[in-house]
Amino acid sequence: MKKVLILIPFFVLIACKKNKVESDNNLDATALDLNRALYGNWVGEFNASVYDTTGNFVYSNKINIIIKKIEKNTAYGQSIVAGNSRPLLGSFKKIDDRHFKFTFKEPGNKDSDGKFEFTIKNDVLEGTWFAYNHTQHVTQRTFKLKKQEFKYNPNAILPNEGDYIDFYSKKTDTINSDLTDSLEVAEDYYMDTYRSASDIITKINSSTQKLTENDLKNLKKLELEILRNTIYARHGYTFKKKSFRQFFDFVDWYVPISENVDNELTSIEKQNIKILNRFEKYAEDNYDSFGR
Amino acid sequence: MILFNLLLKKYKFILGQILFAVFFILMLQITLKYIPYNSNVAFLQIKQTEVHGIKPYLIVFYIHVFTAIFSLLAGFTQFNDYLLKKKTTIHRFIGKLYVFSVLFFAAPSGMFIGLFANGGLYSKISFITLSILWFYFTLKGLFSIKKKNVSKHRIFMMRSFALAFSAITLRLWKVIIVYLFHPSPMDVYQIIAWLGWIPNILVVEYFIHKKRLT
Repeated sequence: MKKVLILIPFFVLIACKKNKVESDNNLDATALDLNRALYGNWVGEFNASVYDTTGNFVYSNKINIIIKKIEKNTAYGQSIVAGNSRPLLGSFKKIDDRHFKFTFKEPGNKDSDGKFEFTIKNDVLEGTWFAYNHTQHVTQRTFKLKKQEFKYNPNAILPNEGDYIDFYSKKTDTINSDLTDSLEVAEDYYMDTYRSASDIITKINSSTQKLTENDLKNLKKLELEILRNTIYARHGYTFKKKSFRQFFDFVDWYVPISENVDNELTSIEKQNIKILNRFEKYAEDNYDSFGR
Repeated sequence: MILFNLLLKKYKFILGQILFAVFFILMLQITLKYIPYNSNVAFLQIKQTEVHGIKPYLIVFYIHVFTAIFSLLAGFTQFNDYLLKKKTTIHRFIGKLYVFSVLFFAAPSGMFIGLFANGGLYSKISFITLSILWFYFTLKGLFSIKKKNVSKHRIFMMRSFALAFSAITLRLWKVIIVYLFHPSPMDVYQIIAWLGWIPNILVVEYFIHKKRLT
């Protein structure tokens, strides 16, 4: 009997504590509910607005600003752009129910780090980024982003909009014009050539079908590269190389969310990456050389 | 004037030999890529379906690569007037090596791998025809010399070597076509499959006709 008497108050104590925790959670949840609508990926163009004259930068990249958590006046997030994923920490201010103000800071231990200032008003996130390091080619960028959910979709495919041209593969040939009657001085002119990919890259899905040698034999190196990188793009990989960003940044379904998606790849995708790599190497070594 | 023509002829010949030597070295380099033995190297990198799916493919491929290179040696010795007339032992030795490697190995193996050629049906027809003609011309060349018919031997061996030489012209055309038009790899392949040997045989036939060798 003594034992029971001792146990009863104990139970009550536990029960009391549990109730208290639950009510706390409820309180937080209701407070957060309003802000929760802001959580997620905000995606769009990240355009240079203040820059030097070297032209040594990419004018526009696709950026994803992830708002992860808001606690009172503190906000946590992540910026993902051009192969760079940076944690963000900053301040949050609610102006009214549909108008919010943020200041987000990247850590500052990278030359490319900076500070974001933006507002979210009527479901549009708009603002400016300021580089900490003023010797950077671009010291300010502006952005206007929309909320976009990320979901891995193996059926996502590049839009069929004619040939895809690699604008970073410029080769300039000088062409000598012959002297004619009307032309007194011989003039040289230049012809730029770029490597291009045909619409085959919109027809082959490198995530859902197991690619065979027969599927790939007639593909050029650029086409193989695009097919392989489309796998990574579907998983939201942020491309470090601008030569790949140029093909994916303007694709609606593409949302950069991670610097490393290796663990997300399906077994079909892993096999396809392997065979695509092999064919890329073959194309690199053999396409224009004496051999087959 | 006669002396000048003679000199020109000699220089042309030497120049031709040097050019041939350059291409022979390139072919040798391509051959040596397959040493040490590797089932996933060079051309085989895009032939893994056959390597794994067709049991004899790899061995036949290796036979082709390492015997066909010997047939090209004929280009150095067999069309040289001096060696033909004064050093008949060399001509006979290289000739036997050529006939042996073509009839027993290079042409039959060429036909087998031709069955699985890249570029689909058109390339397959081309490579199989090529291997049959190569075999036939070489055999005819052999039989005619057995019957001491030198002029017939000469004609058929010229035809035979024109086809052996397609190993070089095919790869040369590829470089030219890719440089000019940047087509997709198998589109090039279908073209060079035919362009590699048809012009060769036409040039030789024209030569035979012009010199009235028949």
